[in-house]
Amino acid sequence: MKIETLFFTAKHTLLNAASVILVSALMVSTSAVAQVEINIDGGVEQGTPIAIVPFKVADGVELEHQIHSIVANDLYSTGKFEPIPSEKFLTLPSKIEEVRAKDWRLINAQILVFGEIWSLGKDLFEVQFRMYDIARDRQVGKTKRIPNLRAKDLRAVAHVISDDVYTAFTGRGGAFRSSIAYVDREQKGPQRYRYKLMVADWDGFNAAEVYASKNPILSPDWSPDSQKLAFVNLTKKGPVVKVLDLASGRTEDIAKFKGVNTAPAWSPDGAQLAYSSSRHGSPDLFIYNTQTKEHTRVTTHYGIDTEPAWGPRGETLMFTSNRSRKPQIFRYSLLDESITRMTFEGDENANASYDSDGKNIVMVHDGGNIVLMNTESSEMQWLTKAKFDESPSFSPNGDMVLYMTEQGFEPTMVVASTDGRVRTRVQFVQGDVREPAWSPLKR
Amino acid sequence: MNRKLGLMLTIVLSAVLAGCANKGATPPPLDDNAGAVPTKQVDANANNAYGTGLSAADLQSLDIFGDPRNERVVYFKYNSTAIDRRSQVILAAHARYLGQRSGARVSLEGHADERGTRDFNLALGERRANVVADVLTSKGAGSKNQTISYGEERPVDTSHTESAWQKNRRVEIKY
Repeated sequence: MKIETLFFTAKHTLLNAASVILVSALMVSTSAVAQVEINIDGGVEQGTPIAIVPFKVADGVELEHQIHSIVANDLYSTGKFEPIPSEKFLTLPSKIEEVRAKDWRLINAQILVFGEIWSLGKDLFEVQFRMYDIARDRQVGKTKRIPNLRAKDLRAVAHVISDDVYTAFTGRGGAFRSSIAYVDREQKGPQRYRYKLMVADWDGFNAAEVYASKNPILSPDWSPDSQKLAFVNLTKKGPVVKVLDLASGRTEDIAKFKGVNTAPAWSPDGAQLAYSSSRHGSPDLFIYNTQTKEHTRVTTHYGIDTEPAWGPRGETLMFTSNRSRKPQIFRYSLLDESITRMTFEGDENANASYDSDGKNIVMVHDGGNIVLMNTESSEMQWLTKAKFDESPSFSPNGDMVLYMTEQGFEPTMVVASTDGRVRTRVQFVQGDVREPAWSPLKR
Repeated sequence: MNRKLGLMLTIVLSAVLAGCANKGATPPPLDDNAGAVPTKQVDANANNAYGTGLSAADLQSLDIFGDPRNERVVYFKYNSTAIDRRSQVILAAHARYLGQRSGARVSLEGHADERGTRDFNLALGERRANVVADVLTSKGAGSKNQTISYGEERPVDTSHTESAWQKNRRVEIKY
């Protein structure tokens, strides 16, 4: 059997060196959070039953990160897989010759994932894993081996495995090595807060504070290379659009004009930043060119134009406007400067964003439902029917949507599969959080 | 008898009015001479309480008790920037006062309720503050108005109820 070796280099790590240092202090507290995944509202139909065997580890080796449970959580969240509880497993294979298809057919598993973690020295590990198609009784793809790991890398390795499985069985890219940004509000006293811009793995683990302010922070948006975050920080003079360079921690004021400057959105090529500004009276859309540093006004309506979002090829800007009295979604063409209304169903639609291929948009409907809309048919599909759901953003592969809801008055960050089957709480995020934004894929 | 009762009522009313006018250092009374107004002129002011051109009863029907300028917050309907009659009276009172003090600096803080998106609500809060600034100016305030929006970020009441939302959709007038 041919073995493919995956080198676990800096390219694969989820966070850059700077943020890893920030993280170490937080890891202790976040790892104490319950490992149990909370299924908010499981769907009726099931995904493909998959058995992820606990990876074999040498006796006496205790590991903080359990690869099989991380992979199970990743895959379950997509709605496309239904991990079988490991208590049901009849055997726990780690080598190909230990696999007996019959054992897995008995528990209706269709896919098997298994492997081994070798402990090669002090904090030095190597991981091998395989995927197996039970119906065909044969291995899928090559055996993968990932050397030169430290114990803390095993979490990232689990996400690599999840991506591999996801791609092998769906034909689509996985999103498990991506990150999320969000705002965490910490109460410091009566009416006193610390607003923290946070970056974490997609499941909320490895959370790190990247910027903080005593004034509200909102609307984070990832640059396409995941190196920068644009966001809004309220100041005494009004909301200002800023850009944070994650590696250096430096921020730059992009728009601090008189009035409201808000809702930044990176163009797909990362060269431009669209935002809304009321510096000429009413909030209009502007485009900032990061090279020439020039600001170009895009819309001129007396209504409120805000929340721009770029089409995947950068030729359209979708936005929220109340030019038709109540907020609805409109589309501006950068090619012919035409403006087209996109949404007609419901009293209000706002805060829309495109998926990676532009076929669907996700938005807030009637003040609190998360709704998907096909851009060609304009057909809507309700992901949630709650009252106060907000801030939806697509996973980089477009298969999941991250958003905020409330559970018993507690702000709760949730991932829903776009097929509507599964909604899971983002496992390790807690606190007074808001404004989540899903990163692009790491390159 | 009737006349006597009427006179007594007038005296009581003027005393109450004087009391109101003198109560609290901030904000200063609208008319600095209010306390010294002779009884007869108070009668004439029955339909011009606090210089509003309205009777005290009219003011009360608008939920305004005492000097409208004591009201430092005006409220809005959902997704609306329209100034209702109550707010008109309150803003007119502020404008009259500010008109007499040229160069006064006024800060107008616009807010929205939690419904709608945060970015949109920042815009909405600013709209409300701007509308209030325009009304003050049109009514002769002559002040330097600074507007700022906090969107839905600074609610007065954090509960998810219609009454909380009503309190949160507001512009605060500060000077």
